[in-house]
Amino acid sequence: MKIIAAIVLAGAAAITWVAPLHAHHSFAAQYDATRHVELKGVVTRVEWTNPHARFYVDEKSERGEVTSWNFEMASPNVLVRNGWKRTTLTIGDQVTVTGYLARTGPPSGPKMAIAESLTAADGRKLFASTAQDLTR
Amino acid sequence: MRTLAALSIAGAVLMTVSLGAQTRLGGNIRANPPTGPVPRLADGKPDMTGVWLGGLPVGDISTALPKGETMPIRSEWKKKMDAFQANDDPQAHCLPLPPPRFTPYPWRMVVTPTHVFFLYEMYDYRQVFTDGRKHPSGDDLDPTWKGHSIGSWEGDTLVIDTVGYNDKTWFDNKGWPHSDKMHLIERYTRTDLGTLRVEMTIDDPVAYTKPFTVTGAARLMPKDELIEYVCDENNQDAPYLQGAKP
Repeated sequence: MKIIAAIVLAGAAAITWVAPLHAHHSFAAQYDATRHVELKGVVTRVEWTNPHARFYVDEKSERGEVTSWNFEMASPNVLVRNGWKRTTLTIGDQVTVTGYLARTGPPSGPKMAIAESLTAADGRKLFASTAQDLTR
Repeated sequence: MRTLAALSIAGAVLMTVSLGAQTRLGGNIRANPPTGPVPRLADGKPDMTGVWLGGLPVGDISTALPKGETMPIRSEWKKKMDAFQANDDPQAHCLPLPPPRFTPYPWRMVVTPTHVFFLYEMYDYRQVFTDGRKHPSGDDLDPTWKGHSIGSWEGDTLVIDTVGYNDKTWFDNKGWPHSDKMHLIERYTRTDLGTLRVEMTIDDPVAYTKPFTVTGAARLMPKDELIEYVCDENNQDAPYLQGAKP
């Protein structure tokens, strides 16, 4: 019972402080809150970099066409403080991602977006960033 | 019961994170600050050394003015501010974010007999001279991003006086501006083990009609350490920031 109480207390503490998790640039200046995306795909690259970590996903349509995506996440310092390791997401992982499209982006290459939620094929729900924080 | 389960999961995650923090960098960013008496140095002064999070609002420092007050900005400077675009924010280009601007990431204060150092996880450091020297004057005072800072003690409060700024930094994400004639007085008071009171008086007769004071608090992150944050390494965002600042 003592352990349960301790865990509940820790949980309660977790919701007392609402820490800002994201920085570096405004959400609205780069992403479009009205253009929500949801897709399944395979991770092709992970960039454990600043000011944002990024992961790249190839999404395959039923007809076999591949769309490549470049998803922005929080920075590694924030991800680490939310339980991530550099190896939490690796090349070849199947993921389900939701997020928001960038207003603009590079003329070629993967489509730019920001991750809102990220679920691995084994059901792990991974902290992603995220968009809600940027809109504050 | 669902709430209990959710809290338990949150608790379990936190415990995992905090256990991990003993060997890996990074602590629990949502933990409440510890409570207890103010730690003191051998000479009796409060010891402010530690990793802190927060200070003043990141989004808009006008929310830290006394109730009922507004920013006494001159109209031509308000026009200048209103014309800022998101891409004008120094933050978007990995440039320094000195006080009164704060970041969402932790920072460490290191107090020595001759200097106080601020190590900001987000981008930078600051040095404050507490050896009794004065500000340089005339041509010896170069305008810089972080200015020239000298510090002294008023009782238990560390007072930092800074001049010699350039006019390139913003006070927050909203973009409150300042001129190169800004004089900033920071007051740091550790009110208990886990809390650092932050008070800043901004005196900039060029951009504002009178001095004003904003207050806030930072909380101790006792199990945390700074994590490297090299902003320039993969800044893909800057070219694609569009429109007015938030």
